[in-house]
Amino acid sequence: MPNAPLRFLHARRLAPQTALLTLSGLGGLFVCLALALAEEPSDAERSTAATARQATALLETHCLDCHGGRFTRGGLDLTTREGLVKGGQHGPAVVSGDAASSRLLQQVQHQLEPGMPFKREPLAAGDIATLAAWIDGGAHYPAPLKCRAGGDDWWSLKPLVKPAPPKLPRSPDSDWVRTPIDQFVLARLNAKGLRPAPPADRRTLLRRVTFDLVGLPPTAEDTAAFLADDAPDAYERLVDRLLDSPQFGERWARHWMDTVHYAETHGHDQDRPRPNSWPYRDYLIHAFNTDKPYARFVAEQLAGDVLYPDDSQAIVALGFLATGPWDESSLRDIREDTVDREIARYLDRDDMVTTAMSTFVSTTVHCARCHEHKFDPITQAEYYGLQAVFAGVDKAERTYDPDPAVARTRQSLQARQAAVPDLIAKADPSLLTPEIANQTAAWEQTVTATASRWRIIDPVSITSASGSTLTRQADASVLASGTRPETDTYTLRFAITSTRLTGLRLEVLTDDSLPMKGPGRQDNGNLHLNELQVFIAPHDATEPTAGRPVKLIHPQADFNQAGWTIEMALDGNPATAWGIFPEIGKSHRAVCEFTEPITLAETDLLTVRLEQSHGRGHLIGRVRIAVTSAPAPLPAEADVLPAAIVAILQTPLEQRTNAQRATLAGHVLNEQLSRDLAALPAPQKVYVATNRFQAEGSFRPAETPRAVHVLRRGDINKPGDPAQPGALACVGTLPSEWKIDDPNREGDRRAALAHWVADSHNPLTWRSIVNRIWHYHFGRGLVDTPNDFGRMGALPSHPELLDWLAVTLQEQGGSLKSLHQLMVTSATYRQASQHDPHSAEVDGDNRLLWRMNRQRLDAEEIRDAVLSISQKLDPLMGGPSVKQFVQSPGIHVTPVVDYLAFDIDSREHYRRSVYRFIFRTLPDPFMETLDCADASQLTPVRGASVTALQALAMLNNRFIVRQSEHIAARAEQAASARATQVSLLYEWILGRPATPREIGLVTDYAQKHGLPNAVRVLLNSNEFMFVN
Amino acid sequence: MTAPAPDDSREFIAHGLTGPRRKFLWNAGGGLAGLALAHLLGVGDSQAAENTPRADLNGGLHHRAQVKRVIQLFMNGGVSQMDTFDYKPELQKRHGQKVDFGLKAAVTSVPGNIMQCPFPWKQYGETGRWVSAALPHMAECVDDLAFLMAMQSKTNVHGPASYLQNTGFLTPGFPCLGAWISYGLGRLTDNLPTFVVLPDSRGLPYNQAGNFSSGFLPVSNQGTIIRPTAPVPVSDLFPPTSAKFINPASESDAQSLLRTLNADHLRDNPGDSRLEARIASYELAAKMQLSAPEVLNLAEESSATQSLYGLDDKVCADFGRNCLTARRMIERGVRFVQVWSGMGGPKGNWDNHTDIPNELPFIANSVDKPIAGLIRDLKSRGLFEDTLLIWTTEFGRMPFTQGSTGRDHNGGTFVTWLAGAGIQAGATFGESDEFSYKAARDTTMCYDLHATILHLLGVDHQKLTFRHNGVDRRLTDVHGSVIAEILS
Repeated sequence: MPNAPLRFLHARRLAPQTALLTLSGLGGLFVCLALALAEEPSDAERSTAATARQATALLETHCLDCHGGRFTRGGLDLTTREGLVKGGQHGPAVVSGDAASSRLLQQVQHQLEPGMPFKREPLAAGDIATLAAWIDGGAHYPAPLKCRAGGDDWWSLKPLVKPAPPKLPRSPDSDWVRTPIDQFVLARLNAKGLRPAPPADRRTLLRRVTFDLVGLPPTAEDTAAFLADDAPDAYERLVDRLLDSPQFGERWARHWMDTVHYAETHGHDQDRPRPNSWPYRDYLIHAFNTDKPYARFVAEQLAGDVLYPDDSQAIVALGFLATGPWDESSLRDIREDTVDREIARYLDRDDMVTTAMSTFVSTTVHCARCHEHKFDPITQAEYYGLQAVFAGVDKAERTYDPDPAVARTRQSLQARQAAVPDLIAKADPSLLTPEIANQTAAWEQTVTATASRWRIIDPVSITSASGSTLTRQADASVLASGTRPETDTYTLRFAITSTRLTGLRLEVLTDDSLPMKGPGRQDNGNLHLNELQVFIAPHDATEPTAGRPVKLIHPQADFNQAGWTIEMALDGNPATAWGIFPEIGKSHRAVCEFTEPITLAETDLLTVRLEQSHGRGHLIGRVRIAVTSAPAPLPAEADVLPAAIVAILQTPLEQRTNAQRATLAGHVLNEQLSRDLAALPAPQKVYVATNRFQAEGSFRPAETPRAVHVLRRGDINKPGDPAQPGALACVGTLPSEWKIDDPNREGDRRAALAHWVADSHNPLTWRSIVNRIWHYHFGRGLVDTPNDFGRMGALPSHPELLDWLAVTLQEQGGSLKSLHQLMVTSATYRQASQHDPHSAEVDGDNRLLWRMNRQRLDAEEIRDAVLSISQKLDPLMGGPSVKQFVQSPGIHVTPVVDYLAFDIDSREHYRRSVYRFIFRTLPDPFMETLDCADASQLTPVRGASVTALQALAMLNNRFIVRQSEHIAARAEQAASARATQVSLLYEWILGRPATPREIGLVTDYAQKHGLPNAVRVLLNSNEFMFVN
Repeated sequence: MTAPAPDDSREFIAHGLTGPRRKFLWNAGGGLAGLALAHLLGVGDSQAAENTPRADLNGGLHHRAQVKRVIQLFMNGGVSQMDTFDYKPELQKRHGQKVDFGLKAAVTSVPGNIMQCPFPWKQYGETGRWVSAALPHMAECVDDLAFLMAMQSKTNVHGPASYLQNTGFLTPGFPCLGAWISYGLGRLTDNLPTFVVLPDSRGLPYNQAGNFSSGFLPVSNQGTIIRPTAPVPVSDLFPPTSAKFINPASESDAQSLLRTLNADHLRDNPGDSRLEARIASYELAAKMQLSAPEVLNLAEESSATQSLYGLDDKVCADFGRNCLTARRMIERGVRFVQVWSGMGGPKGNWDNHTDIPNELPFIANSVDKPIAGLIRDLKSRGLFEDTLLIWTTEFGRMPFTQGSTGRDHNGGTFVTWLAGAGIQAGATFGESDEFSYKAARDTTMCYDLHATILHLLGVDHQKLTFRHNGVDRRLTDVHGSVIAEILS
């Protein structure tokens, strides 16, 4: 365990705290004595009573968090003597009068496993003696015990208070201090007799801070400018420049993407690419670059759509909840009524809960899925309460309008659309304003004027591609019978002499011979028309698709099945189709226009091809075709009007009822609003957590939040009470139970969580983010476990500094850039990373920061640095991710991905690494070898492994090999002498001049084996791979 | 067999900062000059010092190890148990009848009628085990195998089920068996990766490389994918052939120049074991460049051995090549080799939804002879002394039809077998119900299988943990017990 030495360190530091707790125990004793004196007890009684007070105070302090407050772990409740004697699942906790035989004592003494208090420091010997005396004396309770409010005094849950930076006595290091950070650090160093390292030299500092803030090496020009800048604030201005550069956002967005396990495929057996995840990545880059206040940044990612409805980027922010894997097979493909579907829903919400709570509040709530949290004060009910927060959303693609004006227009049109049903239902004539009445009348006129211009046409030939029996009927329709193939294509041909045809009508008709009366042949009466195609073909053509295709536009149907609209029959995509379920047993009609009027020659036939490739017998049962010469736009409405509207139109105006008038007006309004909506710029798509998405099969948006139950032992077959949305009671500064007015409005739940997390009184949130930022700057957090501030996590090395930073961040309005600035301009950050044997002896892990930590470049830094040095790096920002692999269709959903086939000299390969398309189940092997985060897990801390395979990748991966040639070419262009070329390589790759010895060695090698080989060696050097 | 490095050797990882223990290790080795690669102990985020393989335990961590290396044969798609090893006369009796299992729906279909196994059955060996005609070669080896006849899965869906069988969890991102073994026990050789995956030559399985992931364990424990017949069998083992400027002479001088430059840098930057570890990693890389091509060179094997694995038979040559390669790898010190049959997607694997009588023999024939060859070969070479062989899949199939002659997924019961060191040959544990619909007696889960495998390797599955996101994670989650009934 790497933490072992550290834990020991903290164990010793815990001593003062323990002392304090004991004192508070004595406070209780004082009260007890005062009470006891009033009744004038004997000395013995007094002593027994005192022992009881002391012992029960110990129980209160050390035991009740788990045994008697909100938790009775192991079934043990220590709040009363009855509970003590009854004991838990292992039997009585005490044998009254016999401490040595008592379980409680044995466990406290660590004679019996598990030792108590569980996973905490053992009690002091004196305290154990007190407990023993108390049990020997009968283990009496002066009064029932009570768990303290909030139940916890764990460091991370304590309210945030800004500590004053320690005052330091005058010392040789007094001038070293630049910021309050340094005061905190120096105080701890001095206490251990340690001194900070000298400041790093300017080149080292420049390379360090440039990689750190923008993820790239300084260019030769950067270096020259910084070295030439003699002003005392040269470094501060450098930092400001870096923080202002757009590359800053790219660098820090990538860190955030690690934390939230961002990837762009689903990650299960159906590892489908998500083409629209990237807007969330761009949102992050923009948020960091514009220094979005942290509270707002948090709130947007949990409930931006609800809290900031006027900001389209707040919708994109919800990509946060959708970054994780998604089990397409279980959540979409398998049958909805299976237990596998339900399991998958719980697991998917678990991913959202874990992501949100680990990222924002560094809390391991996910440990409470199968049982109460074993170490932290989190109940199973609270865990499922958090699942309930996300019970109304799914990971899915939704649309949004990047232009807020368009978004507002769309919203207002949609609001009016939403009001139409009410207008119809109320049938109140006063609601029909003159405007609406006029609009309705005008519409009715055009409809009647253009109606009945359709001409039904009679086919001269009918063929089925798969053996359906197609028979012409008396009404010129065609009826299918006989075998029902899985799929089929009908081809109908017509000899017509009309000129200037403008449109076509397709009727699918009911028939008693069809299942459910049709109009489809599927058992449920449905059909799927995948493609409707029209050709003008010579009469002797044999191929069904011979001839000139006629393009069809503006399709309309009287009814569209959800997710199966008539547009899909014209989209050229054989995977989509028009359907009519559940409106079966009724005839339906669809019409479309030709892009321009068509005229057929005498010898031509009009060919109508009906491709029905969906399968499982989703075929048309009976079909009829008509054409029109009416000028466009077509009088479509007249023909695709619902039967109810047709009936109203046939009723004389004066005889219509109020209900009929309202229905007609509603129809007209709907028509108009749909047209207006269609005229708006096409919305963008983004993959987020949402309940606004197109249903795909049985994967449908939840209209109201789904029921979430507390699952006993996490078992889907053991549902307990329904879970109530809420937060964690252990954060005592904030209410954990929310008042939500409408339990059916899922957005309110997320908004409540967003408020809870982003609240300035939530101590976890603010400690968490300053620790994350510190972690990236210093290579290690003040708390070693950035995602776990609980009892299984590490303790802060500098708790006061952590709190000071957290409050300072709040005071600066949540400005992360100010926080970065504060950290990297500190003297602590500016130290050299040099080794010091004495300091290493005292603090080998450098927890006290007696020097700066040397960090290995991460995968993205290596890749981007190489591109930057070769000057191939494409500065283009944002947009769809670049697939640095060749993708071809797999035999099922998951595509075949080939990294080796990709052109490494293509422009896409020169983009910054943050724009790489991340394929969850097949990530880029080169980046993986360099410890790039596994996108299926939250990665708050990256590894920095050293392996033979990594050495091989750095030596032989074609990216490094090819870039070595590019870098060599750059050097050869810049200088002709080998030695000069080598000097340049040192400047570019290592950021320093070469020594004469190095020039000699490398020049010799380059003379023998060429400059590209020399570049390759330098890129593999430790000096390149590490930042001092 | 080549002599493996001492058991306490491990892949070395440097992570985070220099600690006292690391410093001790490196300085005790006498620095760079005295660097003995085989003795590099894990540093940083690898296992703790008190948890290293112990020579006195035959390389085990917590108790004496019986197994040092493992070959796992994974049949991707869900092998139909009642058409291979789980003999159910009841299915013949009730063929075509409707039996109500109280199941509204299987995952992709509505339950059809009972379907008998379309292949004849026979008893084999002294154990008299029933095996269907789908696996005639494996049938001849049954006396060497121990069967788990009532394995169960928590799910009926490929993605989560494959993750479960490989990592013990339904969701992505957890380390797989091979990664845990690599993490817990480290390597036996400097020359080859510790954990190798040989995918089906047609493509990767469901979840692709997600099944071989090291998850949150250090990436050094990840399965190294080797494709013996691909143009580039091991990624980046050698420079791309297009790079004409690289040749053996430039390579050898490059190694020595790099050593010199790194040594200078180390002198100026003392006290950081990661720098030394990186230097050493290049020495290891050079060794791997020598060893990897050799292990893939099957021409070194006699023609008798080649035909034992079916290399002369088109139907099974691909899988046979991988089985033979797996044997050569474990001989040379690879810890864990996973050989896959079947790619992801609806066909070319064991996911026989449509047509058991035709689809199953197709895939079964591609593995049957090679697996029988592997069993015989391991046995005759004495490799079963310390090698474990496992044959498994992600779930079973339904006793009733899907469509006309297919079968849908069934996590209720399926079959796994083990053979080799520590395994009681011919043993049986567990039994499914009369229809092979659900496990009926002595049910086992992946947790028990994994616990048993770790047990044989000298590892207590409850003690091999890694702290991730606040949880001490185990391969076996919070479950698992060693299946003593199949141990020798």
